[in-house]
Amino acid sequence: MLGLEHYLILSAILFSIGLYGVLSKRNAIIILMCIELMLNAVNITLVAFSRYVVPALLTGQVFAIFVIVVAATEAAVGLAIILAIYRGLEDIDVTKINLLKW
Amino acid sequence: MNLALFIPELALVATAVIVILLDLLTEQKRLLAQVSISGLVVAGGVTVAMWGHNFPTIFNNMLAVDNFALFFKMLFLGVAFLVILSSVDYVIKFARFQGEYYALVLLATLGMMLMAATTNLIAIYIAIELTSISLYALVGFLKDAKSTEASLKYLLLGAVASAVLLYGMALIFGFTGKTNLHDIAQSIQALSPPTLFASPALILGIVLLVAGFGFKIAAVPFQMWVPDVYEGAPTPITAYLSVASKAAGFAIILRVFFSAFGQPDWLSQNWGLIFAGLAVISMTLGNIMAIPQSNIKRLLGYSSIAQAGYLMVGLAALGVSPVGDILGQSGVLFFLASYVFTNMGAFIAVIAISGKLNSDLIDDYAGMGKRAPLLALALTLCLISLIGMPPAAGFMAKFYIFSAAVQHDLLWLVVIAVLNSVISAYYYLRVVKVMWLGQAASQEKVPSSAALRLALVLSCLGVLLLGIIPGYMMRLAELAARIFIP
Amino acid sequence: MLANYGYIGLFLIAALLFTLLMVTIPIALRFLRIVPDKPNPIKNSIFECGMETIGKTWVRFNIHYYYYALIFLALDVLVVFLYPWAVNLRELGGSGFIIILVLMAIVLVGFSYAWKKRVLEWK
Repeated sequence: MLGLEHYLILSAILFSIGLYGVLSKRNAIIILMCIELMLNAVNITLVAFSRYVVPALLTGQVFAIFVIVVAATEAAVGLAIILAIYRGLEDIDVTKINLLKW
Repeated sequence: MNLALFIPELALVATAVIVILLDLLTEQKRLLAQVSISGLVVAGGVTVAMWGHNFPTIFNNMLAVDNFALFFKMLFLGVAFLVILSSVDYVIKFARFQGEYYALVLLATLGMMLMAATTNLIAIYIAIELTSISLYALVGFLKDAKSTEASLKYLLLGAVASAVLLYGMALIFGFTGKTNLHDIAQSIQALSPPTLFASPALILGIVLLVAGFGFKIAAVPFQMWVPDVYEGAPTPITAYLSVASKAAGFAIILRVFFSAFGQPDWLSQNWGLIFAGLAVISMTLGNIMAIPQSNIKRLLGYSSIAQAGYLMVGLAALGVSPVGDILGQSGVLFFLASYVFTNMGAFIAVIAISGKLNSDLIDDYAGMGKRAPLLALALTLCLISLIGMPPAAGFMAKFYIFSAAVQHDLLWLVVIAVLNSVISAYYYLRVVKVMWLGQAASQEKVPSSAALRLALVLSCLGVLLLGIIPGYMMRLAELAARIFIP
Repeated sequence: MLANYGYIGLFLIAALLFTLLMVTIPIALRFLRIVPDKPNPIKNSIFECGMETIGKTWVRFNIHYYYYALIFLALDVLVVFLYPWAVNLRELGGSGFIIILVLMAIVLVGFSYAWKKRVLEWK
């Protein structure tokens, strides 16, 4: 029998994988994908909480819908910026994007 | 639903749409700035007229139209006005995409206005993202290597920060089952420490919220994007980021932490201490890192990190203060108002000088006292205000915040803050010294356009007025902070 | 009060120890000569399943695909809002219809912008 904890653990693991990817990957597009993974992990949390904590309402689901839309726009802007960089540098390895030092 | 209370925001949306469409049809690009400014003026006029009334919330408790929100809306509209004024000549640099520039500035302003007004976690997230996504695009507007790189860094780090913030929101929603801040407050009001620590979702949620918001206000250790983005972005956008984005972050922190987590005293004392810790490291690191900088935009970037630290002294003071004491809140609001004028003024002077020099290096500012005495004088005034010396606004602002902190037994924090102010004087005054005593490379005058001069005069007037007669703004800040008295 | 955070502190220490252990185990094994050190090209290659590829894997797509993808990405999530509205069309009534019209109008502005900027022309 699946309970709330299972969903929460799943989403926590997915969120951590996404965060690990963001910190360790060097390709900007893969970093963007990892960010999407983090956002979708949050969506699982939201929907699971909504189902188990307030089953009569749809708060979590509505929240998740907005997150999906915002994630899409963020990805669109991110891809556009990566395109702009790619035209200038012919490379999207973030370690090579180093005009400005950290 | 009362749409009349939503007119300022609607006016901004309409103006942004009109600017985009007009850009497709006309070749007269100056017209776009005029349309944007008139839209801002309309929105500002309506906002001022709404001040002081007790309006109900709109959109099913999603947005509040209280004095606190209106105070910040006026601030953001004012900043957007100054930013657009100071961009009029700057945008000629990128011959294409002028309409998009103005439209994105307007949309970012809209997002910040919503950030100040929202009382619901969902709406908070959307407002933050509306602001951030517009700013990501604006940072990359120069389309050269540095600018696009800054934009990519800002986007990647900002997206991670907002994902972390979102996870915090999800945990808080899961713990309470509510997304409205007042409902959240009601469901955690009576909790005692043992019940809370038995299921620590709320604590984890609050910590993640602090991390997400900390990115917005550029607090250490969430500050790594600041110097790069500030250096790479177009200078008016740097000004906009350092001023409005930070103020919006503080607006939302005040609203969330006060409306939702202000009630059990032990909880608010705990997050007060978190902010005290962040304040200490932000001030110290910001000031120390600013000392070796040779680029004025990077220097102002690190200085803005330090200023966020001073502001968080105020947050710490109001975390440990009992409910109903609004000394800390009004201090933070006053500090934000004075910081807005000061930093805007400093950046406008930088836009004028660097636009002529084509260089942001501090060494190239040598002899500006002779080449452009008015610009140098304005920059000097703003830097003095950033140090916190009278007669500029920064002095009164620091005075209010530090006295609020002392009254709530945070003397140790104030001592650290004052020591930091002394350190900061060193690098601010170095710029002043280079400008007035350095040897000029050439004797050529530095011209500035009428729009830029108007923006500069307005900011400097603000700095002086807030420094000499602070009472009026302080009363506004108190009225705005009064919504936090339950 | 502060003791309540003790568990978090314990957890933090456990997490740090765990990662430290995981990092040191292979180093220790190598150091103790339990694991022999015999590198060869196949061992050092990146682990991938399936057959080895013939030719370059990095096929370049025409940059115009990306413009279409961006516009598609921005417009297709609209359905997320349209679908719940369409399902509840009757209950939401006139005001819901007007709100959706405003939303569509804003999206149309973006679409006409892309059109006018010639993003949709295949060159």
